This record gives sequence, structure tokens and C-alpha cells, in this order.
Amino acid sequence: MKVVIAGAGEVGTHLATMLTNEKHDIVLLDDSPEKLAKINREVDLLTITGSAHSFQDLKDTGIGKSDLFIAVTPFEERNVLACSMANYLGVGRTIARINNSEYLKPRYREKLDNLGINELIYPESLAAKEIVASIKQTGTRQLIEFSNGKLILLGIKIRDNAPILNKTFQEVSLINEGIRAVAINRENQTIIPNGQDYVKDGDIVFFITTRANQQTVFDLSGKKPFGVKNIMILGGSRIAQKTVEKLGDQYRIKIIESNLERCKKIADRFENVLVINGDGRSLELLKEEGVEKMDAFVAVTGNSETNVLSCHLAKTSGVKRTIAEVENLAFMSIAESMDIGSIVNKKLIAASYIYRFTLNAEISNVKCLTASDAEVFEFIAKSNAKITQKQVKDLDFPEEASIGGYIRGNQGYVADGETQISEGDKVVVFTLPSGISKLEKYFK
Amino acid sequence: MFNFKIIFKGLGFLLIVESIAMAIAMVVSFLYGEPDSNAFIIASGVSLAVGLTTLLATRKASKEMGKREGFVLVSLVWVVFSIFGSIPYLLSGAIPNITDAFFETMSGFTTTGSSILNNIEELPHGILFWRSITQWLGGMGIIVLSLAILPIFGIGGMQLYMAEVPGPSPDKISPKIRQTAKTLWGIYLLFTATETILLFLGGMSFFDAICHSFTTMATGGFSTKQASIAHWNSPFIQYVIILFMLFAGTNFSLSYCALQGKFRKVFKDEEFKYYLIFILGFLILIFVGLLITSGLRVENAFRSALFQVVSIITTTGYVTTDYLLWHPTLIVLIFTLFFFGGSAGSTGGGIKIMRIVILMKNSYYELKRMVHPNAIIPVRFNKHTVDSKIVTNVLAFFIIYFLIFILSTIIFTFIEPDLESSMGAVATCLGNIGPGIGNVGPAETFSHIPAGGKWFLSFLMLLGRLELFTVLVLFSVSFWKD
Repeated sequence: MKVVIAGAGEVGTHLATMLTNEKHDIVLLDDSPEKLAKINREVDLLTITGSAHSFQDLKDTGIGKSDLFIAVTPFEERNVLACSMANYLGVGRTIARINNSEYLKPRYREKLDNLGINELIYPESLAAKEIVASIKQTGTRQLIEFSNGKLILLGIKIRDNAPILNKTFQEVSLINEGIRAVAINRENQTIIPNGQDYVKDGDIVFFITTRANQQTVFDLSGKKPFGVKNIMILGGSRIAQKTVEKLGDQYRIKIIESNLERCKKIADRFENVLVINGDGRSLELLKEEGVEKMDAFVAVTGNSETNVLSCHLAKTSGVKRTIAEVENLAFMSIAESMDIGSIVNKKLIAASYIYRFTLNAEISNVKCLTASDAEVFEFIAKSNAKITQKQVKDLDFPEEASIGGYIRGNQGYVADGETQISEGDKVVVFTLPSGISKLEKYFK
Repeated sequence: MFNFKIIFKGLGFLLIVESIAMAIAMVVSFLYGEPDSNAFIIASGVSLAVGLTTLLATRKASKEMGKREGFVLVSLVWVVFSIFGSIPYLLSGAIPNITDAFFETMSGFTTTGSSILNNIEELPHGILFWRSITQWLGGMGIIVLSLAILPIFGIGGMQLYMAEVPGPSPDKISPKIRQTAKTLWGIYLLFTATETILLFLGGMSFFDAICHSFTTMATGGFSTKQASIAHWNSPFIQYVIILFMLFAGTNFSLSYCALQGKFRKVFKDEEFKYYLIFILGFLILIFVGLLITSGLRVENAFRSALFQVVSIITTTGYVTTDYLLWHPTLIVLIFTLFFFGGSAGSTGGGIKIMRIVILMKNSYYELKRMVHPNAIIPVRFNKHTVDSKIVTNVLAFFIIYFLIFILSTIIFTFIEPDLESSMGAVATCLGNIGPGIGNVGPAETFSHIPAGGKWFLSFLMLLGRLELFTVLVLFSVSFWKD
């Protein structure tokens, strides 16, 4: 597939690298030759220096013959305009990065579509959504809902108090039919387990289950969910503001931000939030503001190091739920081993979201497991697709992937060997990156 | 950790490519039923065996290829190719001496075209074909060819491509390096085939037409006749060759645009514009000079001037006349052209038009900057500001080029105690041109140069083909220190 990406920022370069590794033809457009020179040395793609909203520069990228245009410059207006122009120049589909949730409203979608903007991506909003989900769902590292919660994925860190410790996965699935462990992350490596693997101390296990069986999962892994009331957010970034907006009124929220102007803006925007002007790296300030009394601590400053360190600090002060935004990809595995709770990465979230548009099979959801390198797909089984023809155990499914469950009609089911997928089912599949390309043929 | 294994793996693969090229020459010698086919069977077999053994020994090499491995591989490939490529000459007895055989092969692969042969017409067809095919492979580049046909270099591909393709900042024409390499070779093939047909129609034998197309498109300059193109006293053949030398000296990305019908982009290209201006300027000077100083007729003088100017500026090195017989002013003009070279991204050697233009612009702006000390005056090329890193790179290239030229001339005068000949030999080998001035002029060959001089010139050819830096960096301390 030929993909043109405008904007060689963090999201743009990450996407470009990922898609190039998937053998797509990538053209990267940016107005900064320095940024392009850097990626050009490392990744096998074509870079063009130019503006995302210039007809001539867009034409130079060969947009007319491209299948997908992704505008991820830092400027919303530019992205929207660029998509509109790209659409006019004949690209197959357009995706614009936005900073304004108004555009996401269903009633405006058609209007945007008429302008040639087919899909929208709002990375900060997606990240905030994940943060809110992990605040609400204590005890888990990651929570992903499929089809409005008909199936859920829980990533849970197993500690020495868990009843399932040292049991095989086969034994786990025998305890309750509605639970299936689909992936584990052990020492920074992601494993798609078979029945004979043991659960070990320190593993992050990803369970797929339904709402009804959720409690069993917590019991099995020795987690007691607790109520969250007091939240401290470090940094007043767009993600922070979006998170506050999504959290609603039932929490007591403190935001610590070092920029006075920004503090004033946030205080003006959110009445029920206590905004504190100060440097979040200062231990005294955090103590003064009672970090130890917090139920959750979210660090979303622009600086990954600050986020990791302050979360570590909060965790050692006794905060049960900590969430750090880590944008530096090289940091993620170190952060994971530092015991700082959940990690969100805007780039990965955005890239996973966009990724689905480059696959041929019909997909309704893609998520990246932040604590690992696995991806979760929600495929829609088409009629006569290979997946519908046999039972799961006879499918000869790739080793790197596993079927977690499926949603048929209004009901979610956890899959096992005897499961027979039928047409129209939404199938939740876990896979390591190497398995993605092999999956497509099962659902086409 | 320096990854020697991947270098040997790459060399192994490329040796197999060379053995295939030898096999083609073998087929030619079979067709003519000449005894040199045995030499090709052995040479091809040896290359294949060594290539396969190296591959087997290094099959577990990791695919990681860093910058340093890239430079070593690219430099080594050209040396190894020349060593194995000289086997057919030695075995067939065409060139019985190792020094001469290596010189001839290096001159072939680097598309220089300087020859030590005094009896070209007596050589069997297979050997002549091999001479031409070495230039053809070297012209577009051995690495570029391997990138197009072999998926062995992963991420390191771009690194290798940049180390081999001429010009200060090689550009791609499609997102994937492999596709780019394929397209370039496709255009190269197309031009070569078209020229072969035209030359054949112009009265050359089919064999001569193919050989000359190979060496024209590579801007090589090996001919199958001792008298070079002057052998055919045909204006048509000369004009065809002039045209294709012009194509070969043009950036192949531009040819790609032209083939797609985007002529506006071609004529708006600044390098192409200056390329034509330089040719036109020298043509007029030499044409008028010839009219005044020699008794040639108008068409004859025009053709003679045009052919020589295009042949030297594109670094091809064919000749239709001995320019050393011209008036001294005209010889100096021709010698000046030794330092121009083709466009970036072409098969031509030398300094390259793009570098010269950037250099001249920068020097001119320097004057402007004297008058307006606070003015910001960027060097612009193709309507974009040239990154200051590239300007520095071009300046460094230019200085190193002339340093090497002067130092080499000094060294060479010990070997060949004649200033004119030394300058000519060094300039022509460093610029990958072919004929020089003095006793290495168009009418003579390099056979009389002592062995040490031939090895030295072979090294200069390699330096010139890989545009100095790729080879020189291997001699820097920081390259080997961790």
C-alpha cells in the first residue's frame, strides 16, 4: 500500500517506521529538511521537503496514486486543510490529526467527510481515555473494552499473593469458562502462552473475559479493587485537560503545573479542580500537597523522565495507582521494570489507531498493549473468510497469534478450541507484530 | 563491534553476480568459437566457488549493517571485483601481466577507460565484451545493481546506496530503495538498448554496437577499436554517441521524469541547465578556436569540438581526434573540462556539475557578504536553500580533490618525470575520464607507465569513482577507534 504521511513529528515518524517495516511504501512530507534527513538515514522511505498544505508539494509526493494520506502535523487547521486538498488530488482515504473534540461529534462527521476528511485522530483524547479507564479500573495495568464492554481485556500484574501463581494456563481456563489468558509479558518479552506455560511472579497477564466474570479474574490474581477519590495530576498538558474533562465531577483532582499562564487557563476552564503552580519534580511540593493521601497519581508532563521519576516517587509514598506518560520509546522497557504502574504512550496509541486503515481485512478496533509489544485486533469475519470454515483448534492459526474471544450479536464470548466463528462475528485477536501480516488472510 | 561477517556475506553475494557477468562473456566467446572461452569458464567458476564458500561460511551473519561496515563493504567490493575481473585477461593471455590486468579491470569497473592495450583489434571478442561489460556494471554501480536484484541488505541499503551513488546528496525516486535501484537500472537498460539499435543502424556491427553502448552509457570510454570512435568515419555514429553521452552524464532521476513526460521539471532543473550551459560555453570557445587555428570545415570543426567537449565533461573519454594536436589554448580548455564531470546521480565521474555550481554560487555570495556583513544570503539550488552542511561538504570535497590532485602529481613525477604527462594521468584517473595529456594523450596508451605508477593510478580511479570520502574515511583514525 502506498501511504503519504504529512508531518515528521513523533507520531509521524513512529507511524512511518512501523509501516515501512510492514513493507508499505511510505512518503514522508515535512517542511524541515533536518528532521527528514534523520529519518532518511534510518528508514527505507521517501522523504519530500515541503508544506502539507501546498498543492504542488502534495502532488510531488505522488498523492494521486496513493491509497492513504495521514496528516499528523502539530497544527489542526493544516491537517484538516491538507486532507481536504489530498482528497481533491485523488488519494484513496484521508486521516487528520485534530486537537478539538468538537470534530468528533457524529453530527459533524458527514460535513467533514464532504470536505474530504475521512477519519479523525485525536491522540491526546485517546491517551486520556486510556488514563481514565485505568483510574476507574483499579488493580489492572491495562483495560481495553471491545464493542462497548461486551468483552474486556484486563492486563494484570501478578504478585506473590495471587492464587493462580505457578498454575498452568490450562488449569486457569478450567476454573472458569469465561476467562482466557491470551498473552503474558515476562521480563519485557511478550509471550503468547500455550496451555502448559506457568504463571510466574512478576508476570503481566492479559485476560480476556466478560463483565460478569471480571470479579473472578481479580480474585484469581489476588487484587482487591478499591475506590478512587483523590487524584493528583502532574502537568497541565492537553492530555491532562482531556483526562479531567473525561473524569467528570465525582473526583477530587489536583493539578500541578509549572507554567503560570497555563495554570490560569486550566483554573478558568475547570472549576472543581485545584490548580497548583509549581515544579512537579520537587519532592517537598509533592509532600506538601499530600501525595501520600492520593488514590491515584497521573504524570503527564511533556518530559518522560519527570513522569517516570515522579510516579516512582508516588508509588514509594504509597499511592496505589500510578500512571505515567512515557513518550520516549527507548524508555518504555526501563520504565516497565521500575515498578511505576501503568504507562501510556500517545504515539503508540495513535499509531495503533491508524494502523487498521492499512490492513486489507475489515477491522473495527486495534489496540496496542502498552506494557508489551503485542497488538490486539478486533476483526470482522466476512462471509467465506477462512476463519469461519473450521473450529479454532483446526485452523492452523499462526503461532504468534491467538484468538481471545468473539462478539456475536449483543453478546461477548470467550473463545476456546471448540469455538466456531461464523460470519459477522467480531473476533478479538492477539498477535505479536510478526504475526500481523499472516492474520489478514484469515479474515478476507 | 565491527561486523566483518556481513561484509564478507555481501562480498560473497556480489562475487556470484560477477561470475554471472563472466558467464555472459563466456557465451559470447563460445558464439565466436574463440579459444578464450576456457579462460571465462575458469574465471567464472572460481568467482562462483569463492562466492558460494564465503556465503556458506557467513550464512549466520546478523543483518545489522552500520555506517562503518557500509563504507568498508562498498570500497572492498570494487577492489575484489577488479581482482577477480582480471582473471580472464590473465588466463586468456590477452594481458599476461598482473599489474596490467588489474589496471585494465579497475579502469573498466570505475568507468575510467584508460587502457594499457596497444593491440585492441587483435583481441578475441569475449575479452573485448568483458572489457565493455565491466564498464557497464561499474557505471550504474555494483551495489545499486545488487540492491535491485538481491534482497540481502536490510536497513543498511540506504547507507550503501549513498556511499556509491555520485553526488552530494543522492535522492530516491520511489519510497523503497529496492524499487529505486530497479528503476535506475531499468532506465539504464532502456538507454543502452536504444543506443545499440541506433549504432547498428548507423553501420556498426552488432557486436561493436553493444560494446559501445555499454561503455557510452557507463561514461566509460573503452572501445573495441584502437582508434576509438574515429575508426568509423561516420557523422551519424558520432552524433548518436554524443547524444547518449549527454544522457549518461545527466542525473538518471531527471531521465526518469523525462520518460514520464514531465519535461518541465527537467528543464527547470538547475543542475541540468548549468550542465548544458557549460557544454555550450566550451563548445563555442573550442569551435571558434578550431575554425581560426585549424583549417577544418565548419561542420567538421563543430562536430569535433562537440564530441570532445561532451566526451570529456561526461568523463566518457572517447575521442574522434587527437586534441593534443590542437592549439595550446584549446588543450588548456580541454584540460579544464577534466575537472567538471557529469551531473550528480549520473554515471559520470569527476567533481560533478552540482558541486561546481554550489561552489561558484557560494564563492560569489562571499563577495556579496563582504559588502553586507549582516546579510543572510543562503546558497540556493533548485529554488531550495542548500543545507549549510552540504555546502561545507562540497567545499571539503573540492579542497580534498585538489589536494589529492597536487600531491598525486608530485608523487607521479617521480615515476614519470614529465609534468604535463603526470598532471594528465592523475587528472584523468581521478576524474574517471580515460585519455590524458602529454604522453598519455588520446593517441597513446598507459602501457609505458611503470608498474608502480599503474597501481597508484588504479587507486586514484577507485578514489574518484567512490567520490573520495567513501574510501578516504577508511584511512581516518576516528573510523577505526571505537
